[in-house]
Amino acid sequence: MHKFRQNMYTVGFSLILGLACATLLTAAAEFTRSQQADNKKAEEIRNILMALKAPFETQASAGELIAVFERDVTEQLVGRQNPLTLYIYKPHGSETPVAAAVKFFGSGVWGPIKGFLALEPDYKTIRGVTFYQQEETPGLGGEIVTEHFRSRFAGKQIADAQGAWGIDITAGGGDHPGVNEIAGISGATMTCDKVEDMINTVIETLAAKREADGR
Amino acid sequence: MADKNTCMTCGSSRGLCGGKGIATLKEGIWTNNPLAIQVLGICSTLAVTNKLSNSLVMGIALMFVTAGSNLFVSLLRKQIPHRIRMIAEVAIISAFVVVFDQFLKAYYWEMSKQLGPYVGLIITNCIVMGRAEAFALQNPPIVSIVDGLANGIGYALALAIIGFLRELLGSGQVVLAGLPLPLGSWYTPNQMMIIAPGAFFVFGILIAIFNVMKGGPAEENKK
Repeated sequence: MHKFRQNMYTVGFSLILGLACATLLTAAAEFTRSQQADNKKAEEIRNILMALKAPFETQASAGELIAVFERDVTEQLVGRQNPLTLYIYKPHGSETPVAAAVKFFGSGVWGPIKGFLALEPDYKTIRGVTFYQQEETPGLGGEIVTEHFRSRFAGKQIADAQGAWGIDITAGGGDHPGVNEIAGISGATMTCDKVEDMINTVIETLAAKREADGR
Repeated sequence: MADKNTCMTCGSSRGLCGGKGIATLKEGIWTNNPLAIQVLGICSTLAVTNKLSNSLVMGIALMFVTAGSNLFVSLLRKQIPHRIRMIAEVAIISAFVVVFDQFLKAYYWEMSKQLGPYVGLIITNCIVMGRAEAFALQNPPIVSIVDGLANGIGYALALAIIGFLRELLGSGQVVLAGLPLPLGSWYTPNQMMIIAPGAFFVFGILIAIFNVMKGGPAEENKK
């Protein structure tokens, strides 16, 4: 009988401790949930705005970023299979779109890579690129997030001189005069190839849209 | 609070628990530093010390968790059934870790992103579990908090030293609270310091320095 009581005590103790911890965690999660959701949304918005080169305060709070985004950016779905969301940017008070961004994603060398590609209104010239998730090797593939690398995309075309769609991130640095050629990062050829593939997948869908629009 | 020199738990007149408070504090920070002497909790040490700011936040997180879990384990030390004491310790520790993680995610998003899974992994950090098991289960609450804080400070201190050196040598400058402290243009940043091998080198040297200052390696001290 003594052993039974001891066991009941152990079970009772575990139950109470478990319930107390669970209550605390639920309270913590509930209390911070809306703030966390805003942070996640603001993170994505920050990257879209950066790719679009839309001006915004770098120190802006999550709420302020969401407000700017909802005022100036409209979303549009393109493509029938695997539809893409196109984020079209019209600066405050203007009716003409200045830029459009799409999300691209795929697997990198160590983990998933996600980012945004922004195009000029001609849907052919690259305006900017951002990466908001990557786990590439620091110092090598990880350099894709640097301004130094990303700025190489601006002004390039998403089709070559003959009109074939796709960009080419070339190995080995150096001069790359081709309209769709971007100098890659030395030592990060695998990362660059994977980024090239995921951007080209998006470009294919965009190309289909252009043809559908009859341009 | 009759006399500030009287221990609240045992009534001793020589400070906290007859001077045990100070001894505990010194042990956690210096003579038995969890990183440099006991070499515990290495995973997070190697992972997050590529920047000083990351190291500091991680140190604060561990301080909060060890102090909190030590307090609750100590308060419950007579109620926790012996057979499930470790499960109970882990439950208490995880509650503190998850609360801190949620707090970072809500109010310090950038920092939370940089630390990634390592805040959550404090649950499995040997230091926290070790202090609960080795100290809080045998000692009264207040001195257990002191022990938790001391070990947290010891961890944070070692992390801050490693983080400072790695960031300085790896990127040529240390950025703290948005203020950069550059090393100067003569220095070419050594990227090895940012990646894992840099952590091993700096950490190894730190252990060596601690041992020299304490006079010989820990094993020899025991004789």
